[in-house]
Amino acid sequence: MKYATLQKTNLNDWLEYLKKKAKLYAPRKKEGHFVFRPVKEVEDVCLEYIPTILPPKKYYFPQKERLFKFSAQPFKTAKAIDTFDEFILFGVHTCDIAGIQCMDVVFRDGPEDPNYLNRKDKMAIIGIECLKYCDKHANCVSMGNHIPRGGYDLMMIDIGDKFIIHINSEKGEKLVKGVDFIKESTEKEMIDLERVREEKKKIFKEEFYAPLSRIYDSFDKSFNSEVWKDVGKRCVGCGNCTAVCPTCYCFDVADEMELNLNDGVRYRIWNSCQMDDFARVAGGEDFRKGRDSRQRHRYYRKFKYPVDKFNRYFCTGCGRCTRTCMAGISLIDTVNALAPVAIE
Amino acid sequence: MIEREILLEKMKTSPYKPMRGRIIAAEMLTEKEKLFRIELEGRLNLSHEPGQFVMVSIFGYGEGPISVCSSPSDKGYFEITVRNVGVLTDKLHKLEKGDILGIRGPFGKGFPVDNMFGYDVMIVAGGLGIVPLRSLIRYIMFHRNDFGNVQILLGCKSPKELLFEAETKEWMRRAEIKFNCTVDRGDPDWKGNVGLITTLIPNVDINPMRTYGIVVGPPIMYKFVIVKLLEKKIPDHQIIVSLERRMKCGLGKCGHCQIEGMYVCQSGPVFNYAQLKNFKGECHEKAI
Amino acid sequence: MKKQSKPKLAFFDFTDCEGCQLQFANMGETLLELLDLVDIVSFREIMSESAEDYDIAFIEGSITTDNDVLRVKKIREKAKILVALGSCAAIGGVNGVKNRSSLDAAKAIVYGDKGRAINSIKAMPVKEVVHVDYTINGCPVYLPEVVSVVKCLLMGKPYIVPDYPVCVECKMNENVCRYEKDQECMGTVTRAGCNSWCINNGNRCYGCRGLLDNPAAEAQKDILNKYGLKIEDVLKHFTLYNDSMGEKYDQEFK
Repeated sequence: MKYATLQKTNLNDWLEYLKKKAKLYAPRKKEGHFVFRPVKEVEDVCLEYIPTILPPKKYYFPQKERLFKFSAQPFKTAKAIDTFDEFILFGVHTCDIAGIQCMDVVFRDGPEDPNYLNRKDKMAIIGIECLKYCDKHANCVSMGNHIPRGGYDLMMIDIGDKFIIHINSEKGEKLVKGVDFIKESTEKEMIDLERVREEKKKIFKEEFYAPLSRIYDSFDKSFNSEVWKDVGKRCVGCGNCTAVCPTCYCFDVADEMELNLNDGVRYRIWNSCQMDDFARVAGGEDFRKGRDSRQRHRYYRKFKYPVDKFNRYFCTGCGRCTRTCMAGISLIDTVNALAPVAIE
Repeated sequence: MIEREILLEKMKTSPYKPMRGRIIAAEMLTEKEKLFRIELEGRLNLSHEPGQFVMVSIFGYGEGPISVCSSPSDKGYFEITVRNVGVLTDKLHKLEKGDILGIRGPFGKGFPVDNMFGYDVMIVAGGLGIVPLRSLIRYIMFHRNDFGNVQILLGCKSPKELLFEAETKEWMRRAEIKFNCTVDRGDPDWKGNVGLITTLIPNVDINPMRTYGIVVGPPIMYKFVIVKLLEKKIPDHQIIVSLERRMKCGLGKCGHCQIEGMYVCQSGPVFNYAQLKNFKGECHEKAI
Repeated sequence: MKKQSKPKLAFFDFTDCEGCQLQFANMGETLLELLDLVDIVSFREIMSESAEDYDIAFIEGSITTDNDVLRVKKIREKAKILVALGSCAAIGGVNGVKNRSSLDAAKAIVYGDKGRAINSIKAMPVKEVVHVDYTINGCPVYLPEVVSVVKCLLMGKPYIVPDYPVCVECKMNENVCRYEKDQECMGTVTRAGCNSWCINNGNRCYGCRGLLDNPAAEAQKDILNKYGLKIEDVLKHFTLYNDSMGEKYDQEFK
């Protein structure tokens, strides 16, 4: 079975089923915004949502993650890597799935990071394809992430009164197989799916002025562009843009002692290249001074450096950084401001 | 090289977990720098390349990158020299012989010693830069016949900041290397050169195509020294530097040590000038 | 740890509401665990006896009289470690409001005719009078941070107060940004370390932990403008806790 069909009336039954299989996380409402949360009541799950405040990375690359336990005297370390429970991310947008693929590439690149990979191993991803724009801040088409491009176990597509589910892995198959209300899709349903996809093409258009390869070239030439000075002037350095980015993975390592002052935990905690002390060494020299060069670094880490290293853009087009920026620094505008350089 | 494989295996299964290192000797070198001789658990050799670094931890106080200052030819132990500049290093300075600390590594790319075989070597060390370079110098001394002429230029702020005093005296005496030293400010007992390290370079006689110029020092020093080496016509690929950055993980992940697209903890800390030239503006050490 | 080697800890209050000490007293079980590590010898809120022999002094409140100055200097002489507890002690706190007018005017407003007889000097954070070893910001102090600081001081290592904005912690907690709710939140320029306590609980940030070392003042002004705030309003928010640093605020935000 490659495609299966789920009647919308059975969605909650399926969610109940999934909830019993493993820990289930899905988007739900929060004060007019959306967040991924463990599913308590299946009615709370909200599949029509704009990207959540934080991407689901908080589940496979948590804000604060234990690396190992230690004792100072005598010098002792406990087992280095925790064992994790199986979990399912439900209703993940294609942009966030692209984010997960980026993180996979980083943490698989040698030396591997077993903390990430072990957690990731226990994760099943059930995606949902967007059929309309979340808002004007998304640039998923330019990044090629508005349509499913793998990296999931199951992908749901809304075709009216039912969901077509693309089964993309063995793990995914196990989550639909034997569920009596999920049937193999009929030929007619597959034609409906095609129609939906055709409709979608009319709505989704490239958001950048230039194609991606030109954008890459413009970054190559824009290191000293005035654009960065302007962005730097507006930036407050709050680090929101990096916290909400599905492909930002910088971290700090710190120790936390118990009150006996001998045993403790070494953990890693999200960190941001936008912080004043991020690139400052113990001797005092700051190797990336100024909010302009820090913002530039963030953009280059999406559109240039990872392309050189992994042949992959680390912007997923989710639009979160623009949405969260109090100063209104827009990714689309910034990239487009560089675009004239590309056209030259 | 079985020991190196054991270390790699350890790093693969739990890259964040330090090994146990026992301090077998500790000595204050100056007011601010302390030398530690460390024996790894199971008496493993660190099997490092000269110029690589280790992550040193004290549980509860954190972890930081420290250059190895002994040569891989020094067997059974390795050495680090630590300047007291922060929470971790302050605590490190309180440790003595017999104390245990955590070690991960070795990390990064060291000096290209294999490529340097047969070449003349000119070493320019400023301040703490002598620490990673001591590893290289000791390595060269051990394999002395594999290298051509060797000269060392050492500079620091004042005579009392001079590191490895006994050893530098020994280098001065040895006929097979040339050693020159200068201080920015002398004191009444100082009989040597006074002036910036760049003043020593024009006087040295080298065959540029056959010479590796190795520079390690504070960020401000590189620009000026590299210019002098370029004036001497040493090719870009033969000008070698080691860069200090804020390594936190050593695994090319955490982002702190990044210079543009490059993770210094993995691709460096040793770079050649041809690589430096490619940086667009984030590498402070690059000559203008 | 042996009983006799436990350091002795004492609390002193100056001009404040004693709310930070109350936080300490409310620590619950953690306080009992702490008592394995230190002896509390003077703490008016939880005990009647008080000793004059101590190693660690927790100072609550800002310094606002000549007598305060003498008293805190004496405590400094005795204490091996001196901790500024809470906004008033750390940055001056709300008491700084009196620095905005002349002392005579302030006295007249508060005490009327009797003002003349009252001794009063400008409100100062403790660090303006004596050396402070550890600073715990917040109005009131955030207990997990208090515990971290106590651990640091017992381990003999400095506590590094974060120099990044509250937003960093707030985003990690996945709060909806207050600006989206049209609230003039001070989180963008205020030092973190409180785990965005107020925002987690539906409030906004009042800036009680003080300004960052390097606040993006210009950018912040733009933001406030964008959300329709006048700079006078903004100054009011900024100066609620930080008046004793008034000059810096004037410099950065006027």
